[in-house]
Amino acid sequence: MVTEKRGEYLLRLSLTIDPAEIGVFYPFLMQGFQVVVRVGCSIRELLCDQFGIDNEYVLGRITTVFQNGKAIDDLDAAIVRDGTRLTLSAAMPGLVGATMRRGGFYAAMRGSITHKETGESGLSGGGTITMKLFNLLLPELGPDFLKVGIGVAAADLADFFAKRPSTFWRGCRQLLLDGKPVEPERLMGGEAFFGEGTVWLSVTCWKEDKEPARN
Amino acid sequence: MDKIARIDMGAAGGPKVTVGPVGEYAGLGGRALTSLLIAKEVHPLCHALGAENKLVIAPGMLSGTTGSMTGRLSVGCKSPLTGTIKESNAGGQAAQVLARLGYAAVVLEGKPEGDDLYKIFINKDGIQVIVDNSLKLLDNYPVIEKLRGEYGDKVAYMSIGTAGERKLLAASIACTDPELRPTRHCGRGGVGAVMGAKRVKAIILDDAGMKMRPPVDPDKYRDANRKFVEGLRKHPVTGEGLPAYGTNVLTNVLNEAGGYPAYNFKGGQFPGSEKLSGEAQAQLEIDRGGTATHGCHRGCVIQCSGIYNDKDGHYLTKQPEYETVWSHGGHCGIDDLDTVAMLDFMDDNIGVDTIEMGVAIGVAMDAGIIEFGDREGAIRLMKEVQQGTPLGRVLGSGAAVTGKVFGVERVPVVKDQALPAYDPRAIQGIGVTYATTTQGADHTAGYAIATNILKVGGDVDPLKTEGQIELSRNLQIATAAIDSTGMCLFIAFAIMDQPETFQALLDMLGSFHGITMTGDDVVALGKKVLSAERDFNTRAGFTRHHDRLPRFFYNEPIAPHNQTFMMKDEELDEVFNW
Ligand code: SF4
Repeated sequence: MVTEKRGEYLLRLSLTIDPAEIGVFYPFLMQGFQVVVRVGCSIRELLCDQFGIDNEYVLGRITTVFQNGKAIDDLDAAIVRDGTRLTLSAAMPGLVGATMRRGGFYAAMRGSITHKETGESGLSGGGTITMKLFNLLLPELGPDFLKVGIGVAAADLADFFAKRPSTFWRGCRQLLLDGKPVEPERLMGGEAFFGEGTVWLSVTCWKEDKEPARN
Repeated sequence: MDKIARIDMGAAGGPKVTVGPVGEYAGLGGRALTSLLIAKEVHPLCHALGAENKLVIAPGMLSGTTGSMTGRLSVGCKSPLTGTIKESNAGGQAAQVLARLGYAAVVLEGKPEGDDLYKIFINKDGIQVIVDNSLKLLDNYPVIEKLRGEYGDKVAYMSIGTAGERKLLAASIACTDPELRPTRHCGRGGVGAVMGAKRVKAIILDDAGMKMRPPVDPDKYRDANRKFVEGLRKHPVTGEGLPAYGTNVLTNVLNEAGGYPAYNFKGGQFPGSEKLSGEAQAQLEIDRGGTATHGCHRGCVIQCSGIYNDKDGHYLTKQPEYETVWSHGGHCGIDDLDTVAMLDFMDDNIGVDTIEMGVAIGVAMDAGIIEFGDREGAIRLMKEVQQGTPLGRVLGSGAAVTGKVFGVERVPVVKDQALPAYDPRAIQGIGVTYATTTQGADHTAGYAIATNILKVGGDVDPLKTEGQIELSRNLQIATAAIDSTGMCLFIAFAIMDQPETFQALLDMLGSFHGITMTGDDVVALGKKVLSAERDFNTRAGFTRHHDRLPRFFYNEPIAPHNQTFMMKDEELDEVFNW
């Protein structure tokens, strides 16, 4: 995976946190985060080849996929383009859950919002896409995305740090801004990101120092 | 379950109880029993709140057994909200206890003179109907608190709140959960108003001294149940998604799909949706010392519910379901889970359907009574319902009445029942069910997604849009059948994807009754129920012209996909042609 936004300098914030706190970052993953990828490939290539997610996991677990708000039935046919919004979810309950399922029996019920590939070629090379992860995929894929890094709005990050209780900060082992240690107060007050649009955030759990990460 | 109790509330000299054999309704349960009985015995043109209407309370075919997921209770009547036949079902403990007491149904008939209020006590020795005016104008939580002082904690309670006593059209019937909280409601269609019209405030069900219902083939039943539970546990939806996040896990996905109706169906996405999401809700519940995993009755292994505590860690309500979070949340422009949870508690306490109530408040917002997004205003309106003020009575009579009283054009109802949380312009297939169901707009009427494995109606190409009519038909047939078993509809995912789990369900039904049950039998049962319901509605004056969505769905495209509802009337008319 490419880890920087193409042609643009991004402030990089790296945190090493208590593993018990990883879930507090999941709202960023639900709301939408940016990643820089090679575009022009299929969604399956993006997930398996670029993100390194196991093919079996993609087929069996990521059963509901939206591209720009339209339901995807064929991961090999849908092309990733610069600016794509890609949303991944595990299986959903109920009729509508079944309806949204990739290639599912009830796909016809949402025919009008099904993604249809236009055939226009996607750009090749690097591009920025917005991703969202929902439900069971949050704890299963979230830590890896956070470890590699995600682009998030500086304002959202400032708001997030302002709300963190002291227990969060006590659990942090390392806070680095562009590779240099930064005081929690500068993050809490938001001044560390003043004037920035997007911040490149990477989060590692200190337990992972000893244990190899997934994938 | 070989007997039916009929309680004539209007008998000369006071309510009269007759217990007789189940007769022609033998072998039926749940919706099959309520609908066939209503269709046969209730005059379709009767006033729903009059003496001619009947309220049928029926456990499912497998309720009261050791089988998992078997605790759904069906309540049927002619609906005062829709004027159609109605089956409304709920979890809680009541179905299990009533079934163990041996009743296939309890039927409330007639209507007493005067304004005495009654409670009905049912145990192994029989049925007592007792005047208890001390319960007058109490809401559900205080009613149960009071009754627990008298009948204790080893019983199941059904009750109506003040909305039912006032015969509001959104009134529900509450069933207590394993913790004896009145949180599980037969919500839709105003069934609580029918119970209120018959002046019955509460039913106390005591199965002390009764045993589990014995299967004809106990070994086979035990084995089938074990396989059924294994199947539920291993499926990602029933074994992981629903226990972790509940039904509200749908909020994020529906919003992403542009099918989440916001601001009274003016948009397909709501900006604050992630704050209302199941993911956020589960985390909040856990952080506050509640739980995101809880069963509405003993024997539920999916446990899609939870306990929602307030900021101080005190119990506020059960985990609000997706439809509730939507109706009080995005539909009303409210993005705060604590407000939604408070409204959910008030719904349960006053005894109103959360969908009907939330949609009515959204319609009132559209009329300018309060602003969209006004959290305190929404709670204030609910207090009006609780106090029975004129405004409260209008709102408590549902979205259609509210829209008429305040001159609102965009009123999302079919047959006067409020649409649930899925916009039919984005998900056209669900619009077919909303329009044509015998029940008024109801998402659960076509919910049993296991139609492929049930082999309902032959093969449909799911990727062709023309298949939608057939899909909706098949879904409605399958749902009518599952609603009759007493099984929770959430089993459908596991039986759709895992043939062995479906077989286990058939084996449970078969070994319990000592018969061989096939998919065809299930389909035949579903068709029989739907045919009886359609026949009742026809005789009640409903025609194909009632099987339509409100015009704004055809005229107003919804963002972000800018779609209108495109199914043709002639296509909708084909749904029940089998
Ligand atoms: S899955 Fe949910 S609704 Fe169904 S029985 Fe269990 S707790 Fe009740």
